[in-house]
Order: sequence, then C-alpha cells, then structure tokens
Amino acid sequence: MTAVPTEEELGKLVGTPFPGGTFTFEPWWVRLVNDCALAPASDGAASPVFAFLAATAAMGWSWEEMWGLFGATEADGPMAGETATEIREPLRVGATYGVSGRIVSAVRKRGARTGVFDLVCYRLDLQDEHGSLAASCTNSIIFPRRSL
Amino acid sequence: MTAPGDELPAYEVEPVSAEKMKTMSALMRDANPIHFDPAAVRALGLGDRVVNQGPLNQAYIVSMLARWAGGAARVRALRLRFLGNVFAGDGLVAGGTVTAVRQDGAGRVADCDVWLRVSGGDPVLSGTATVLIGE
Repeated sequence: MTAVPTEEELGKLVGTPFPGGTFTFEPWWVRLVNDCALAPASDGAASPVFAFLAATAAMGWSWEEMWGLFGATEADGPMAGETATEIREPLRVGATYGVSGRIVSAVRKRGARTGVFDLVCYRLDLQDEHGSLAASCTNSIIFPRRSL
Repeated sequence: MTAPGDELPAYEVEPVSAEKMKTMSALMRDANPIHFDPAAVRALGLGDRVVNQGPLNQAYIVSMLARWAGGAARVRALRLRFLGNVFAGDGLVAGGTVTAVRQDGAGRVADCDVWLRVSGGDPVLSGTATVLIGE
C-alpha cells in the first residue's frame, strides 16, 4: 500500500500478523548495545530494552515495510508514541527466542494542534525455546497525515 | 523499607555521544539518518545535532532503576511515553518515585513513576515501571 489508507482501510489492518522470526542474543551484540546504553556488561540481556530490540529486529518487516503497510515512508516522519514491555523471565545471552505479533489497533485522530494523524499500536511477543512467553512489548506509532 | 513516596536516586547520564548513536544504528540496522547525519537533522528543522535512539533513552531509565534495585533483571515492566528528542551532547537526568509496594507472583515489587529529562530542561520520557525489590 502506498496511498494513505481511508479510515475503513486503516481499520482492516487491525489483526495483521507480523511475519515474525527468531532472534539470538549473541554475546558481542549484547555487549555493544550495553556499551552504547552506558549500561554495565554484567546486565547481559536483562534490560527490558532488549525485548524491544530483539522483537523489532525479528518481526519480519523492515521499518520501511512497516511504514509502507500504513501508506507512509520515513520522509512522512512516523514517530514513536508509547512503549510498554513486560518481562516474564529475564532474557538470556546466547538464547534464541521466537518472535511473533500483530497490529492491535489503528485509529485516525484529529488534534487541534497536531492536525490529522493515525495512531497504530502493535504487539510483539518473545517465546523461549520451549514456546513459553518470555517477554512482550506493545508499542504505538504516530503517522502524521499532513495531506488530510 | 521501601514505601510509597520514596524518591529513587537520580542518575545523571553523561552527555550523549554521537559516536555511540552510529554504533547503535548499525546494531539496530536502523537506516534513519537522523541518528548519524547532521544534514538530515537540519533538513527536518531540528538543528545541527543528531538525535539519540529511543531505546537508548529508555535504557537510561532502566539503569537508574537497576542502580536502585540491584540489577536490570529486577526491572519487570516498563511503560514509557516519548515526549521529545535527545540530541548529541545533551546531559540527562533519570529519576522516579515509588507509588506502591505490593506482592505479586514474582515476589515483592515496587510500582514507580519514572522520567528522563534533559538537564535543566523538559522531560523527554515519562511513564511507569515495576521493579522487584528484595525485601
């Protein structure tokens, strides 16, 4: 999809599954992320931030593909709204997790200052090697709709 | 003993590094040039300094909680709203307040309001966290 979806088309995207994939917390990658985050190497992959990073890395779409689903590009300036992560079991360095998820809501809104925008919410889950839910993250994206 | 109303020790983050943003872009395979190309930031009218990645900003709040609670593995839930950008060279402060202490399936936990703000400036992240406390 390249054109801005109508409200009806937007609603039909709710429930769309991500292709999904797997993510392995390789020690060198975890170490460099912690270095960038000014976090101690001893934290390993325990920070909830790793759930978001792994889930979005293995969701099966690039960000541009995700924007494209909603008729947008990077140049349209999609913005992060909120992020919520829940850890059921600490994520482990060296472990591989399955990633799956879906679009959970998509609504068009009009703000006095912001103009028209679409608020899209998606959820991604990380399952451990036994298929148990290890972590989940639910995030929202704001798509400005300057043409509407 | 942790109690509602307790202030979490503030964590002062060293000025944000453009070099670390470049590395993070590669680690995330994030092609958005606002994290490594000042010209792209200028083109958006956001100034001359590259923009820090959201996950790094989140990580500073986790570090604040981890220092207080005894490790990042104690942070079990985190809900944050993005309020603004952090630019290269910005100093930051992360902090929070305990709002409730309760027992859940994992043990005794503290619910907290948390925030990250540019030093002397506005909040760039705010939200809530749930942290295991060993009491």
